[in-house]
Formats: sequence, structure tokens, C-alpha cells
Amino acid sequence: MSDQGLQITGLHCGVEGNEILKGIDLRVEPGRVYALMGPNGSGKTTLALALAGHPSYAVTAGSVLLDGEDLLAMSPDKRAKAGVFLSFQYPAAIPGIKVANFLFAARQAVRPGDLTPAKFRALLLGKMESLGMDASFLGRYLNDGFSGGEKKRLEMLQMAVLAPRYAILDETDSGLDVDALKHIGESIAALRVSDEGKKTGLLVITHYPRILRYVRPDVVHVMLDGRIVKTGSADLAERVEREGYDVIRAESGAVA
Amino acid sequence: MTSSAQRAEPLLSAFADETLPLEERSAALQRYRELPSGRERPGRYWRIDLDAIPVDELPFDGGAGSVRVECADDRVRIGGVPRGFGTTAARTSKFGALASAFANRYAFVEIPAGIEIEAPIQITYRAPEHATLFPYTCVHAERGARATIVERIEGGSGSFICGITEAILDENADLTIASLQNLPSDARLFSSRAALPGKDATLAWATADLGAALAVVQIDVELLASGADAQIVSLFFPQGAQHVDMRSTIDHRAGDATSFTMVKSAAVGRGQARYVGNIRIAAHAQGSDASLRDDALLLSPNAHIDSVPALEIAANDVKAYHGATVGALDQETLFYMTTRGLEREEAERMVTLGFFEPAIDRFPAQLRDELREALAAKVLLS
Repeated sequence: MSDQGLQITGLHCGVEGNEILKGIDLRVEPGRVYALMGPNGSGKTTLALALAGHPSYAVTAGSVLLDGEDLLAMSPDKRAKAGVFLSFQYPAAIPGIKVANFLFAARQAVRPGDLTPAKFRALLLGKMESLGMDASFLGRYLNDGFSGGEKKRLEMLQMAVLAPRYAILDETDSGLDVDALKHIGESIAALRVSDEGKKTGLLVITHYPRILRYVRPDVVHVMLDGRIVKTGSADLAERVEREGYDVIRAESGAVA
Repeated sequence: MTSSAQRAEPLLSAFADETLPLEERSAALQRYRELPSGRERPGRYWRIDLDAIPVDELPFDGGAGSVRVECADDRVRIGGVPRGFGTTAARTSKFGALASAFANRYAFVEIPAGIEIEAPIQITYRAPEHATLFPYTCVHAERGARATIVERIEGGSGSFICGITEAILDENADLTIASLQNLPSDARLFSSRAALPGKDATLAWATADLGAALAVVQIDVELLASGADAQIVSLFFPQGAQHVDMRSTIDHRAGDATSFTMVKSAAVGRGQARYVGNIRIAAHAQGSDASLRDDALLLSPNAHIDSVPALEIAANDVKAYHGATVGALDQETLFYMTTRGLEREEAERMVTLGFFEPAIDRFPAQLRDELREALAAKVLLS
């Protein structure tokens, strides 16, 4: 078996001594879509932040291999350079840093010198057009005064520009109205078929199954209380929507 | 006081001229001796006593230093004493008094009524090494005149500079001033800046105090007529052992005038700063609209910035806003940036420079890149 993939094995992780992840096994392969579903507090965001290298999230056991390399030994910027991208549930607002400058700095950091500023700009404008974003975004300060939908769109633009090997979308659908959700969903679907995007392994973290109508998962995991309690195909997401997490909790015997 | 402590007094006659005769200078020096600085005493962080500056030890020399005024438009009157000279609050403070006692280089500019000057008028002072300089700038914009002034104070190592900049705006005048100094780290600067915007006049004054071991800056704006608008922006960034004492006072003494004050400061190393932002609205100044925004960024454990906003509002029909923050770089912001591939130090550099951007945006466009470069150089050293 190839070592291509984001391989999470027996991952335990906590914040300030409280264990939140209690042994996660999960594999993300290039070009495939994985849904990670679960109610609030089940540990989904903890997994996302631990994979990105947040300093407050201490991994106490287990391993994460990125195409065979030890991800946990890398600093957050090294993880990004190695091809991991996290779309934040709550992206930071940074007054004083313009979107265009930030995206160029990020692209330069992840792929040094691969594009001249002019070619980068052309790429950026192309991605923005496909995401339905107005060019005026580029002159605004990063997420400063952005609506919830605008912030999520900017996360998707960053993903498109950085073309990561593995992307974790942490509740990219949360806080969006129906139209914004449709737009984000279609944007992700469009990235999935782009040249750079089709090789990306995608871990879609969500509370609700509605975004999965736009981005159909190959595998669905259900997470409860820091453990993955059920794994199935796209049908599992529909079952969650129909029956709720309580039925799955009862089946799995997880302690509430 | 012993005679040896008053070495400065006998030197005044060498400075006296038609603009500031000996009697005025003597009275000013006496005011300097008597007035308290009104600044805080030295303490745990701040280590300089502003009431005990050893002026009698200074190498006074009326011939020291230079001033250059550059203006491409010959309709602007340069050199003559402008109307309104000395009528602002600039000379009323302790260091304003000292500046007027020894004033030895003048930049006098008068913009005639109704005239718009496109290119900035450049005023540049320069003090030699280990010398004193007492600059006095007075700008008078007549009715409906519009101009931009860029005032730079430069100096050699160990220079001591104590100056005044005053601006008088007649009805409907529109004056933009940028005052910049990036003096050597062992220079001292005392600068008293004051303005009187008239009816419906617009004053935008942006100041950047980036250098000097000690920079003591006061900005006083008196709004005496309705429709006057003052926009004051100040940025400073003490590093190493630099001390900055910044004070702004906006006095709303007429109704329906507006003011906006924005202060962005950062400190690194053992850099120390104090900012006192006063807004006063007199009882009869109904319809005043005043806002004050003050943000301070602390980049190292021994850096310190005190921020003291003071709003005295005696009128009841006014809009007054005040917001202040003091803090370190936000860790979640830095984490977010590192997940985009930026190294931690690069993220810190970008956020620090970005912090100043809203202030830089309010400087005349042709100065912004220069300011960004000067700030970037300070961030690199930190």
C-alpha cells in the first residue's frame, strides 16, 4: 500500500489537561472526500486544530503521518508547506493586512518563487471569478468587517490559491444562510474538479449534513465524545439527518 | 537658584531678533523655569524627569542648525511673519516656552486666499551633531486656501531640538500637515504643535515620531468656530531605551465643530511611552462631535505604554466617542497566519506593520512608503 495519505492513528489530544480526543483513527487519501460528522462538543474542531498544530492542543498519544512523514513534529507553517490546509470555523480578522498582500505572502511561503506577482495576480483573479468574488475584496483588510459568508468565501479562496494536498474544512457551512451555503457548497464542488483541486484529499467537518449535498463524500465518519463511533458511505449522512445523533449514540453504546 | 544654574539667561541676547525680541524671550525663559511640565514623575517604567532637563548644560549656539523651505509655487509667501504668529497654544506649555525663548530657525509660510497648492510644501530642519536647534514653524492658510505641508526634523547624534509648529486656518481653509522625525537614538526632541482652525476650516495633522532617545510631543487644537474640523493622527514606536511622551488636547470651544484623533503606538525592548489624550467640550459647544481612538501594542515584556484618555464634556448635546486598547500581539491571529505557511516571525512582522496601516493611510500618499520602510526597519531591529 502506498504511503500517500494523511494517516491518523490512535490520536489522543487535550486542552489544559482535559482529554478531548480519545483515540482517533482516520485516513484521508488524495482526491477523496471524507465527512466527519458529530454534535457540538464531540471533538471535531479539536481534531482540526490539532492537525494544524495549534499550540494549546497537546497531543498525548498517537501519530499522524503526512505521506509517510511525521506531521506532529512539524511547526504550523511547516505543515502548511507540506500541504495541509485548515479552513477555520472562526478565521482571524487582521486589520492592516490587505487580502491581496496576505494571499501573495502565503503563496510565496508555501510555494516559494513559483509565480511572478503579475502571474499570481492573474491566478488570483481567475480563482476569485470562479468563486464569484468581487475584485474589491483584494484591497480590504483580511476578514476585517467581513460578514460570516464573506469570511468563509475568503477561506475557500485561500484554499484555491494554496492548492493543498489535504484540506480540512472545519464547519465551513456553519453560520451561513441557505443562499450562502449553496454558494460555498458549489464553490467547493468547483474546486474539486479544478486541475489543482482534484488531487486534494478533503476532510469536511460538519454538524449538519446539508453541505454534503454539494460535496458528496466517499466516506462518512460519525464522531461522539472524542471517538469515531461509526463509519459508512454517503448514506450514513442521510441517516444522521433523518434520525439524529441520539440514535447513533444509542447504537454505539457511547456514554453520554 | 544659583547663578551657575542660570547659565542660559545671559545667552538670550544673542538669540534676540525682530521676530522675537529679548523681552519676549526673557519672559518665555522665565515661564519655562516656573511652569511644571505637567508630566508624570519618573517611576518603575518611565525613567526621565521632565522637570529636571539640564537646559543650562546645553551647548547654546544661535547659529547652529539649518532650515530649508521648498515650494514650487511662487504665490505662496515664505519668510514674512504670518498673521496669527504666536496666537496658538504652542508657547503656553513648559517646552513651548523654552522653544520660543531660543527660537533660532524659522519656517514661515502663508498661503493666500483661495489658492490651492498641489505639491506639498517641504520644510526640513537639521541640527548638527551634539548641537542645539530651536525650530519655529508658523503656517497661515488664508480663507479658502488649500495646501499640504511636510515638516521634517533631522538631527545628528546627540542633538537637542526644541521647537514649535503652529498652524492658523482662516474660514474654509483646508490644510494638511505631516510632521516626521526619525532622529538618532541619542537625540532629544521637544515639539509643541498647535493649531487654530477657523470657521468651516479643515485641519488634518499626522505626526510620526519614530526616533530620538526622548521625544516629548504636545499637540493642541482649539476649535473656536463652528464647522471647524480637526483630524489628528499620531504614530510612535519606542524601541531600545527610547522614551516617548505624547499628549494631545482637542478643545471644543464652539458648537458644531468636529474632531477625530487616532493614535497608534507600539513599544519593543525597553521602549517606554505615555499618551495622554484630552478632549474638552465647553458647556456652550453644543453639537460637537469628537472621537478618540488609541491603540497600543506591546512587543516585549519590558516595553511599556501608558494610555490615559481624558474626556471633559460640559455640554449635553454632543457626540463623543472614545476607544482604547493596550495589548500584545494576538496569539490566535499569529497561529492563523502560520497555518498559511508564514513563519512565526514573519507573521509577527506583518501584524505589527499592519497595526500601523490605518494611521499610515491618513498621511499624504507620497509619504506612506517612506513610513512603511522606516517602521519595517524598526521591526527588523526589534
